Amino acid sequence: MLQPFIQHPLSRTVFLFGIILLVFSFFAALLAPLLFTIIISFVLYALLDPVSRILERRGMSSTASSLTVLFILIAISASVISLLMPYLSAQVSQLQEQLPSVWQTLLSFVQETIQHTASSMKLDLETSNNITQPFFDEANKIGKTALLAGSNLLIDLSVLVILVPIFTFFLVRDYRHFRNYLLDSLPNNSFELGWIIYHRVTNQLQEYVRGIMIQSGIMSLITSIGFFAIGLDSYILLGIIAGLLNLIPYVGPLLAMVLPTLLALAQAPFDPWLIGAAIGVIIVAQIIDNVIVIPSVIANAVNMHPIIVIIGIIVFGNLFGFIGMIIAIPAISTANLIFRGLHQGFQTRAVLTDS
Amino acid sequence: MMSNSNHPFWRNLFRKNSDQTHEITEMWMQTPLFENIPYRRCRELVGNMHPREYRADETIFNAGDIGASVVLIRHGEVEIRTGDQILAELVSGDFFGEIALIIDEPRTAKAVATKNSELIFFLRSDLEEWIQRSPKDGAQFMLNISRILAARLKQTNQLISSQES
Repeated sequence: MLQPFIQHPLSRTVFLFGIILLVFSFFAALLAPLLFTIIISFVLYALLDPVSRILERRGMSSTASSLTVLFILIAISASVISLLMPYLSAQVSQLQEQLPSVWQTLLSFVQETIQHTASSMKLDLETSNNITQPFFDEANKIGKTALLAGSNLLIDLSVLVILVPIFTFFLVRDYRHFRNYLLDSLPNNSFELGWIIYHRVTNQLQEYVRGIMIQSGIMSLITSIGFFAIGLDSYILLGIIAGLLNLIPYVGPLLAMVLPTLLALAQAPFDPWLIGAAIGVIIVAQIIDNVIVIPSVIANAVNMHPIIVIIGIIVFGNLFGFIGMIIAIPAISTANLIFRGLHQGFQTRAVLTDS
Repeated sequence: MMSNSNHPFWRNLFRKNSDQTHEITEMWMQTPLFENIPYRRCRELVGNMHPREYRADETIFNAGDIGASVVLIRHGEVEIRTGDQILAELVSGDFFGEIALIIDEPRTAKAVATKNSELIFFLRSDLEEWIQRSPKDGAQFMLNISRILAARLKQTNQLISSQES
């Protein structure tokens, strides 16, 4: 009785897709603490693999070519870091010094507004304080946690600096062998389909990653110039943060407005124009992004309904934090491609069996 | 994969291992697909090809399956069929399925191994990557495949004409 249901292409696709999803979820949960390191390593692998392959074609073994590209990576990174680090660390220190006062300014601003509202509504000041105090206590805790997270970030960065080259080396050296081993392990009747789906997924991911890297770079540049022009402190760091936040569709641009606005609020002397200008820079950058950058750089790399995008960002953000928000779109589009590929394959077989 | 996997870390770093790739490269070089293409270029490609084994009477692909590769018979025999009609009987050194290298369309015929066979799959994605890397040789390869397909078209036209007359 269940036979037609089991044989139906859609049920077979859902079943197999479910298994793939379970395996991926298991590994994602297992590797969650290393997710950022793994993603960075994969991006570097995509950049360095062509160089490694050129060396291999010239007669080098895969280990020698991987070591060579690793040294190239370390040399370039060391040069860039030694050039930029003094400047960036100065800006980070400046930002760290400013953050507590930004937080206090924000809290006092909110407190004053509440008190003003309470007095204009003729509410008892003690009662309103009793209502708002738990909020401020909680907000202070969040602020302290955020500052602590900031300092933990430096520790995470050191782990990243050590692990990323190691991961990248082994990816450059062994990824292709491992991938071929897995795909070649598929049964004869699924082998070509497996490769077709794999290439569809990697092509789309490559296009997407390339697109968002360019987009993020352009956004960092535009916002840095904008913040510099309006006279905001730590303009390069803020620009880089805005560029990174721009990787998160819909939500990112809103988040990108928060830090510059807070810094503008705290920057002495208090200047309402600076706050408006900081928000204005992000809005202008967003307009440029939506009108020029996205259509020419990202185009149709990922074509998904906005509701799916927003739900995906919330779910992945909840599961994996900030990195989850960035990987939400490529992860959903990959799942979509795998599902459609499997369905196409099973459907073809069903037609052939029927005929 | 025919490239150097499973070797120890501290093997001779600057010597690429030599294996069965030479024999398979020679087989591909005998086909019209690799006419006027240098041996070393063909060998590069062979390093990324996929050998697979099929039992006698096992279907390699069906008409209508999604295809992504041209297949070389290293050992064994293969029949190409449409319905009950046998279109071709192929042996070691022959290749089939080359249309899948050009278009992302379903296979036009069924292929069945009539003996235990070892087949070498050359994927379209590897060809595309190779064309980007070596456009000159890639263009030669495309010219070769165009000649093969044109010859097939001519044969089909002649067959139709002879049946009509």
